[in-house]
Amino acid sequence: MKKIFIILAVLIFSVPAYALDGTQLLKQIDRNLNPESFEMYRKLINVEPDGRKKEFVLFSVKKGLDKIAALFLEPASERGRSTLRLGENMWLYIPNVGKPIRITSLQSVVGGVFNNSDILQLDYAAEYDVEKVDESGNEYLLYLRAKTKTVAYDRLKLWADKKNKLPTKIECRTEADMLIKTLYFKEVKDFGGGIVRPSVLETDSPLYKGYKSIMIYAQIKQRNFKDEVFTLTFMPNIDSLRK
Amino acid sequence: MNRTIHSILLWVFILSLPCLGWAKEEKEEYKFDVSEIEKKPYQLGGYGEIRPVLFGLDQNAALYKLKFYNRDEGRRIEEYNFRLQLEGSYEYGIARIFGRVNGDLSHTYQGWSDETSLYEGFLSLKPSNSFTLDIGKRTLKWGKGYAWNPVAFIDRPKDPDEPDLALEGFWVLSADFIQSFSGPLKTLSFTPVFLPVLEHINDDFGTTEKANLAAKLYLLLYDTDIDFIVFTGGSRSSRYGVDFSRNITSNFEIHGEFAYVEDFQKRYMDAKGNILTSTYDTVSYLLGVRYLTQRETTYILEYYRNGTGFTKSEFQDFYRYVDRAYDSYLTTGSNAFLGKALTLSQGNYSRPNPMGDYLYLRVSQKEPFDILYFTPSLTTIVNLNDFSFSIAPEVAYTAITNLELRLKATFLVGGGETEFGEKPNDYRLEFRARYYF
Repeated sequence: MKKIFIILAVLIFSVPAYALDGTQLLKQIDRNLNPESFEMYRKLINVEPDGRKKEFVLFSVKKGLDKIAALFLEPASERGRSTLRLGENMWLYIPNVGKPIRITSLQSVVGGVFNNSDILQLDYAAEYDVEKVDESGNEYLLYLRAKTKTVAYDRLKLWADKKNKLPTKIECRTEADMLIKTLYFKEVKDFGGGIVRPSVLETDSPLYKGYKSIMIYAQIKQRNFKDEVFTLTFMPNIDSLRK
Repeated sequence: MNRTIHSILLWVFILSLPCLGWAKEEKEEYKFDVSEIEKKPYQLGGYGEIRPVLFGLDQNAALYKLKFYNRDEGRRIEEYNFRLQLEGSYEYGIARIFGRVNGDLSHTYQGWSDETSLYEGFLSLKPSNSFTLDIGKRTLKWGKGYAWNPVAFIDRPKDPDEPDLALEGFWVLSADFIQSFSGPLKTLSFTPVFLPVLEHINDDFGTTEKANLAAKLYLLLYDTDIDFIVFTGGSRSSRYGVDFSRNITSNFEIHGEFAYVEDFQKRYMDAKGNILTSTYDTVSYLLGVRYLTQRETTYILEYYRNGTGFTKSEFQDFYRYVDRAYDSYLTTGSNAFLGKALTLSQGNYSRPNPMGDYLYLRVSQKEPFDILYFTPSLTTIVNLNDFSFSIAPEVAYTAITNLELRLKATFLVGGGETEFGEKPNDYRLEFRARYYF
C-alpha cells in the first residue's frame, strides 16, 4: 500500500515537469516569428488560376501584443493607404477619402485569400488559447481556440517544427470545424539580429479554388515605437517612420 | 483649336497608360528587391481618368426647364470628362511639403470647359510622433458617416453619389496633439484649426474678413471612436458636434453623428416667388451601420436627418414657381423669373440631398463567382419626405494593376413635385477608367 502511494505521489509530482505547456510553447513560437516590437517590409502577391498576379508592398510596424499598423507602398493605386489594428479594433485610411474608417477582420483590403487579420496578424497567443498539443515525429500540433468571438477564425490547427519552434502550417477553421484557409510557412531565412524565421507565407482556400496568395518577407528589424504611432490621428503619417 | 489638340493629347495619354500595367503583369517570378522599399525624400503620383456619361433627360421636370429652357438638346445628352490628379511630396527632416492638384477637362452640351484647382498644398512639421503642425490648404474630412457628414463643419459638402472622391480643402493652420494611455481610454488627440476668411482666401467659405476657429477632441474609449467637434467664428454661425463609431462584432459596425447649428439662415421661396430668409437653431444627425455577411456581402445603411434642409412644401413652392416662370418664358420670351429661380437653386435647391430626411443603402458583393477584383454593388438614396429615390447598380473591376474600371447606371424615380422626380434627367449611364501612376 505504502509503495503504491509512493509511486502515485511520484507520478503526480513528476507529470508537471514533463508535460508540455501549450501556452508557453505558443508564446515561444510567436517570439521566434517576430520580436515583440518591430518594423517589417512584405510583398503580398495574389495569384489567379490563369497565373495572373497582383502585387502589393507593405511597410508594417508592431508594438507589444495588440498594436500593429501597415502602410501600402505599391502599387500606385494603393499607395498611401494604411491600416491600423489595436486589439480587435481595425481601421483603414485612404488618402483620397481622407479619414480613417472602421473595417473588420474578415474583410480584405487587398482582395484574394488574405484578409485583414492575416495582414495585421497579432501574436497568436494574444488571440488564442491552447486547447491541446500533440507530438508526432518532428512536429508539434497545437489546437487553438479563439479567446473571443471577435477573432477572425474560431479555431486554428498549428503545426510547428520541434527543433526551431517555428510554424510550418496553420489551418484556419470555423467553430463547426470547416476549413477556411491553410497557411504554409516556407523558406526559413536569417534576417539578422537573431531573427530566423520563414520568409514566405503561402495560403490557399477551399473557398477560392485555384487561387493562392503569397507573402514574402524582405526585412524584419527589432524597433521600438511610441504608443502614439498606433493611433487614428497618426495614420496619415506612418510613412514618416520609414528610414 | 488648341483646346481640341490638348484634349486629343490627353486622350492618347490616358488611354496609353493601362498598357504599362499590362506590360508589368507579364512578369512571372516572385521577386522582392531591396530597391523596391528604398525610401526617397520625394514622392510623385496621381491618376488620369476618362469618364463618358450619357444622360436621359426628363423634359417635363422642373429642373430640366430651368436648365434647358432656351435650348433643345433632345432626349439624351452626352458628356465627356477627363481628369488628371497629380500629387507630390518632399520630406526633409521634420518637415514635409505635400501638394495635390486636380485638373478637369469636360465636353458637355455647352462645349469645352476646363478647371484646375489646388486641392491641397501644405507644409507639415512633425517634431515628434505626438505633435504635428500643418499650414496651408488642407481637407480635414471630419465625421464618421459614409454618405453624409453633418459634423464636417469645415469641409466642402461631399457628393453622396461619390463619397470617396477627394475634395478641395481650405487654407488653415492646424495642429495634432496625440496621447496614448493604457486602460479604457486608449487614445486622446486634440486638433485645433484656425481658418481665416479674407478676400481671395477661403472666400467661398462664408463671410469675409473674419477669423474662425474649429477644434476636434478624439477619444478611443472602451473600443469606441468618439469625436467632440466645435466651430465658431464670424464666417458661419457657431456649431457643435459629436460623432462615434464602434465595432459590435468582427463583422458589424455602428456609427453616428450629431450636429447642433446655431442661427442657421435658410433662404427659400414662397408660393408667390418671394425670396425669404429664416434664422433658427437646428440639429442634424446621422445613424449608420455596416454589416459584412459570411458570403462577403457588405451592407451600409444610413439614416440622415438634415436640419438645414427644405420642407416638402418649400420644395413644392419652388417647383410651382419654376413651372410658372417657364410658362411665362414661353408666353413672353422673358427669362427674368427663370433667372431668379436659377440664382436661388444654385448651391441651394439643386444641391445634393437638400431636403430633411434620407435613407442610404449600399449593398456590395466582393468577388462573386470567384471572379477576383470584381465587385458589383447597388446603391439607393431615398428621400423619406416625398419617397422619391435614386437607384444605382454598378460594377467595378480592378484586376489590372493600377487600373480601375467602373460601369455605373443611376435611375431617378419619383412623381411630380418630388426631389428625384424633378431632376433634369431620368437616368445616367457612366463609364469610368482610372489609371494610377
